[in-house]
Amino acid sequence: MSERIAARSLNNPWRVAGHYFFLVLLALICLTPIWVMISTSLKDQITIFDGKPIWFFFVPTIENYQDVMGAGKFDKYLWNSIIVATVSTFLTLLLGGLCAYSLARAEFKGRRFVANATLLVRMVPPAVLAVPAFSMVLAFNLRSDLMVLIFFYTALNLPFAIWLLFGFYKQIPVELEEAAIVDGASPLQVFFKVLLPLMKSGYAVAGIFTFRIAWNEFVLALLLTGRNTRTLPVAVSGYLTDTGVEWGRIMAMGTLIVIPPLLFTFFAARQIIAGMTAGAVKG
Amino acid sequence: MPGVGLNNVVKAYGSTVIIPDLSLDIRESEFVVIVGPSGCGKSTTLRMVAGLESVSAGTIHIRDRDVTYAAPKARDIAMVFQSYALYPHMDVAGNMSFALRLAGTPRAEIDQRVKRAAEMLELTDYLDRKPKDLSGGQRQRVAMGRSIVRDAYVFLFDEPLSNLDAKLRSTMRTELAILHKKLDRTMIYVTHDQIEAMTMADRIVIMDQGIIQQVGSPRDVYTAPKNRFVAGFIGSPSMNFLDGELHGSGSKLEVHGQGFKIPVSKRMQITANAAKDRRVTLGMRPEHFAATANKDGKYAALNLDVDVAEYIGSSQFLAASLGGQPITATVDVGPDAEPMGSGQYFFDTNRMYLFDRASGEAL
Repeated sequence: MSERIAARSLNNPWRVAGHYFFLVLLALICLTPIWVMISTSLKDQITIFDGKPIWFFFVPTIENYQDVMGAGKFDKYLWNSIIVATVSTFLTLLLGGLCAYSLARAEFKGRRFVANATLLVRMVPPAVLAVPAFSMVLAFNLRSDLMVLIFFYTALNLPFAIWLLFGFYKQIPVELEEAAIVDGASPLQVFFKVLLPLMKSGYAVAGIFTFRIAWNEFVLALLLTGRNTRTLPVAVSGYLTDTGVEWGRIMAMGTLIVIPPLLFTFFAARQIIAGMTAGAVKG
Repeated sequence: MPGVGLNNVVKAYGSTVIIPDLSLDIRESEFVVIVGPSGCGKSTTLRMVAGLESVSAGTIHIRDRDVTYAAPKARDIAMVFQSYALYPHMDVAGNMSFALRLAGTPRAEIDQRVKRAAEMLELTDYLDRKPKDLSGGQRQRVAMGRSIVRDAYVFLFDEPLSNLDAKLRSTMRTELAILHKKLDRTMIYVTHDQIEAMTMADRIVIMDQGIIQQVGSPRDVYTAPKNRFVAGFIGSPSMNFLDGELHGSGSKLEVHGQGFKIPVSKRMQITANAAKDRRVTLGMRPEHFAATANKDGKYAALNLDVDVAEYIGSSQFLAASLGGQPITATVDVGPDAEPMGSGQYFFDTNRMYLFDRASGEAL
C-alpha cells in the first residue's frame, strides 16, 4: 500500500523536487553548525575574527589542534571522559536492565506506576540537582574523585534506561523463558542465551543515550570535578578566558569531543538492526 | 505405578483457590487430553506437572518419582507451548537442539537426533531458517520437533493448535495422533476444543472450576456423561437441556415439560423410577433428532417451531423452539431437501439423558 503511494508520488517531478528541497533544507540545518565548528577549528585567530565570516576559502591550519592536544592535560581529560562515560554507561545498563527485568516480570501492586514514574525523575533538569549534589560531595569530601561523576551520571541515566528497557523486556513473551527452563537452562543461561540476544537492540538504544549524556554533560561535571578529574566538556570552558574567547581552540576541542560518541553510536546502532531483524515469535 | 500421578494437588494464590483438590493417574504411554472452558484450571494443572507452577499442597509423581519440588529440567518432560515459544534468534536446527546443547550431548548425536526429528516432521529443508521465515504450521512443527529430540518421558502440550487455522488444525491433529503412535510416550494435552479431545485422546479429563468432572474414554464421556456440565461440553453442537418433571410409573414413566411429553426409554427406567416426582432436566443431543420416525417406535414425536434451517450438506441444522424453550437439531434429510420448516420431528428416546435439576448430576 505505502509502496504504491510512494511510487505514485515519485512519478510527479514537482513532488520529487519538493521532497528533495525539504530534505536538503533539513540537512543544511543539521550540518551547518557542524561545518562552522570544523571550519573554525581549522582557521587561525585572524581569519576567525575577520570582519565578515569566511565560509569555505581559507588556508587551513592544524595549529589549534596542536595547541589543544599538546598543551595542558588533554590526554588526562580525555581519559577521564572515557572512564566516566563508559563506566557509568556500563553500570546504568547493568542496574537498569535488572530493574527493568524485575518490573516487567515480577507481579506486585503498582508495578506499572513504578515503571512509568521512573521517567518522572528524568524530568528534573540536572542543573536543579547541581547544588544539592555539590553539598553532598562537600559533606563526604569526595571532590576530585571520578567515582562521584560516575555515581551521579548513573543515577541520572537510570530512570530513562529502566523505562526504555522495561518496554523491551515487556515485548519478550514469558513463554520463551519458560521454554528455556523446560529445555534445562539455568537462570544465567536463560539470560545470556535467550534474553540477551533478543534484548540487544534495547541495550544498544539505552547505551547510546546513556553514553551520549554522560559524555556531554557539563553542569554537574563543572561543579563536581577538580583540576585532575575534569572531563572534556569542562576543559573546553577553560578556553573562555579573561583575555578573550579562544574560538579556534574551543572548536578544535569540540571536533575532537564528537569523535568517540560517534564511534560508539555506529557500533551500537549495528546491534539495533541486528535486534530488529530477530523478529516475531508467532504468526 | 509408572506414568504420571497427581495426588490431592491443590493450587491457590493467596486466598484464591484455583484447584481445590485434584487427583489423577495417567498411565504410561497414554494420551490424555484435559479439556474445559477457559479458566477451569487445566493449564495450571499442566504447568504444575511441568514444574513451571508451584504446588500449594499434594504431590506429583512422574515415573514413580516424587517430583513435586523438582525443577522442570529434572522431571524428564518436554513441553509445547501455545505460542510455540521458538527462540527467534536461533534457526530451526538451533531451536531443536537447544536442550541437547545445554545438556552437553555430543555433537554427532545432536545432529543425528535433530535430523531424525526433522525427517519425522518434514522439516529437513528448513533447518537453517529462522522462525520468522516459517509459516504457522511449520513453526508449530518446529515446536513439536524441539520436544521430540529431547526424547522425554512425558510430553506436555498447552493448546498447541489454537493459533492455527481450521484446516491446518485438523491436519496437525492427525499428525499428532500418528506421532503418539510412533513415539509411544505419555502425552498430556490441554485444550478448550472438545473436538481435539474427542479425536486424539485415549482418555479425556473434563475440568470445570478446578474440579475434575469426569474422566473417561471419548465414548464414555459422550454416551454416559456424569453430569449436565460434561453433557453440555462434549458434543457439537452441544446438547439441548429442557426442564421437565417425571410422571407416571414403571414402564409408563414419562418426562413432561412445556410443550412435550416423552416416554422414558427402557434404558433409563430403573434410575428414573427412583427419581420419580423429582424436577429433572431432559438432555437431547441435536444429532439424535430425525425428520421421519423409524419403525422400531423408539422415537418420540415433537412439534418444533423452526426459526432457521441452515444447510450443511447432507443434513440441516435447525434453530428452533419447543414449548417456548430454544432447541437445536441436526436432521439428516439428504443434500437435495428443501429448507425444513416447523412441524413434527422425531427424537430417539434411547438417546435421552436425564439430570437432577438441582444438582445437575445424571440420573
